[in-house]
Amino acid sequence: MSAWTLCVDFGTAYSKAAAAPRNAWSRFDPASVRPLMIGGVQETGNAFLLESAVFVDDDRILFGRAAMARAEEAGRKRMALRSFKTLLSVSDLDRALNTSAPASVDPHRIFQMRDLIVLYLAYLLSAVDAAAAYDPMVRDATSIERRYAAPAWRSGDSAGMHQSIVRLFGEAETLRHAVGDQILEPEGISIQAVSDLLPKAMAEPAPYEMGLIFEATAAAAYTSIGLPDSGAHLIVVDMGAGTTDIAALARSGARLSELPEARVTLKQAGDFIDSVIANIVLANSRWAKTQAQQTELWRAVQRHMRDIKEAVFEEGRATLRHEGKVISVQMRDIERDRDFKEFMKGLASAYQFGLEVLRDDVMARGRTEIQAIAVGGGAAAPFIRELIKKTKARGNTRVTARPATPDWAHAREFRGNLAPVFPQLAISIGGALAPEQMLAAQGGINPRADAQT
Amino acid sequence: MPAVKAKPGRPKKSAAPKRAAPRASLADALGQAAWAEADSALAEALALCDEAISGATDVDQAALLDLLSQSLARAARKRGFTRLGALGAKEAFDRKRHDFTNPPKRTPKTVRIVARGVARAGETLVKTRVGPVRRTGKK
Repeated sequence: MSAWTLCVDFGTAYSKAAAAPRNAWSRFDPASVRPLMIGGVQETGNAFLLESAVFVDDDRILFGRAAMARAEEAGRKRMALRSFKTLLSVSDLDRALNTSAPASVDPHRIFQMRDLIVLYLAYLLSAVDAAAAYDPMVRDATSIERRYAAPAWRSGDSAGMHQSIVRLFGEAETLRHAVGDQILEPEGISIQAVSDLLPKAMAEPAPYEMGLIFEATAAAAYTSIGLPDSGAHLIVVDMGAGTTDIAALARSGARLSELPEARVTLKQAGDFIDSVIANIVLANSRWAKTQAQQTELWRAVQRHMRDIKEAVFEEGRATLRHEGKVISVQMRDIERDRDFKEFMKGLASAYQFGLEVLRDDVMARGRTEIQAIAVGGGAAAPFIRELIKKTKARGNTRVTARPATPDWAHAREFRGNLAPVFPQLAISIGGALAPEQMLAAQGGINPRADAQT
Repeated sequence: MPAVKAKPGRPKKSAAPKRAAPRASLADALGQAAWAEADSALAEALALCDEAISGATDVDQAALLDLLSQSLARAARKRGFTRLGALGAKEAFDRKRHDFTNPPKRTPKTVRIVARGVARAGETLVKTRVGPVRRTGKK
């Protein structure tokens, strides 16, 4: 197999990439799914995760884990730029890109958000290339089709937004070739070099081809691949950091189309759950009386939030130690929270609405089943699992909740090692497996050809 | 969509992933990644163990046990362990799945789960530990 598809997922905290043979959809073999070790360019940590971070230091630009470490040393007034996904999915992308980076990110006040994104993409592309060349199957590819996964654009102008994003990739491609492998080193690159090379890269982006796949579609792809005659209708609940999205998808052969009338986006998601938990911890900590104590406790909770949420979701409770005090938070505390109850009401009604729209399509096509999938950070939450497991559609349409980690991820070849990390890599894997017909947009830029015409 | 030609040749040495063994399989590399996530939780568990054993801490034993159990559960999740059964649940005794904490003289038909079993990748690492179902006194 020499033709491959490679998909990049820039998650809010980490970027991931995976590759699959281009004919994976029609001839699926779990052993040919290749998550790429893009984090392998960093000295420590999970080799499949690359920290999505850029830090503007005194005279250098640092990337990835080195950026995060330096930001931590630099104190509270300085921060690394993260959340590229959030930035790239805003409705007015051009305006967002042309905004100056805040002083906390760029104390020199010389960079726009666009500059920093191009820098990060140059780092990411170099890491992806190194990882692809390291993989014994992908490195022998005769051709690689590239994709990126993104949330559905709020503006609905997929093609227009896609063109802008591909241009950023083209600029990043020029820049990384000019900078060389130095960009992958922990000491990053000098601001002087960036000042010299970045304007040239922006003026002369490399020709670049990419496909865009929506995250919900990528989730549908990894869930339904390999299932005989199933997954014709799917409802996806995607609870990320900033939004919870419900998408209804109908599959016809390899083509997967979204039923736009079913899409609902709720503004409460992971960040909202975080604040509910932090408020519960504060309420359970009567000893924290002063503003300073409460602020310090709030920060400590936020620092450990990932572990706290994981424990609450999986074990029903989490225990946190802070300044000699032990504080517990339980799932039932969250369920009793008034704002949470409101959120759940809204979520249940949005989900039911999506299910009914999908059911009409199921009926019209003479089908009988809907597959329900939860993705994103919220997929492990018991209230999301309950929602997709227990909510029924009207009439005879059966709703089957699919596991967050598909059965094929437990294949013997992986020796139990893919399943634990699958949720983190899922979107990049789904994006690589999906057939071309599932793409939301494709195409690229070729400035040299454009200039000749 | 036209495809981008992959570049021939291998990457320069400095660009290669720095931590994987040269011939590590993907499964091994994924296993290492899971360990990277589990390591800090295990380290925390060891430190909590010391605190519990030494007793030289302001935190009470029950809270320490909570914290220790949480750290171990986190490490186990990162490694893909699953727990078998539910604490306190009654089940029909099955020699293949159950171990008695204190073997009785006569094997009962129904047992109560005292400690959940542990499995990974479909393989049982520790059987579910069970004890007798205690009769509730009827008057």
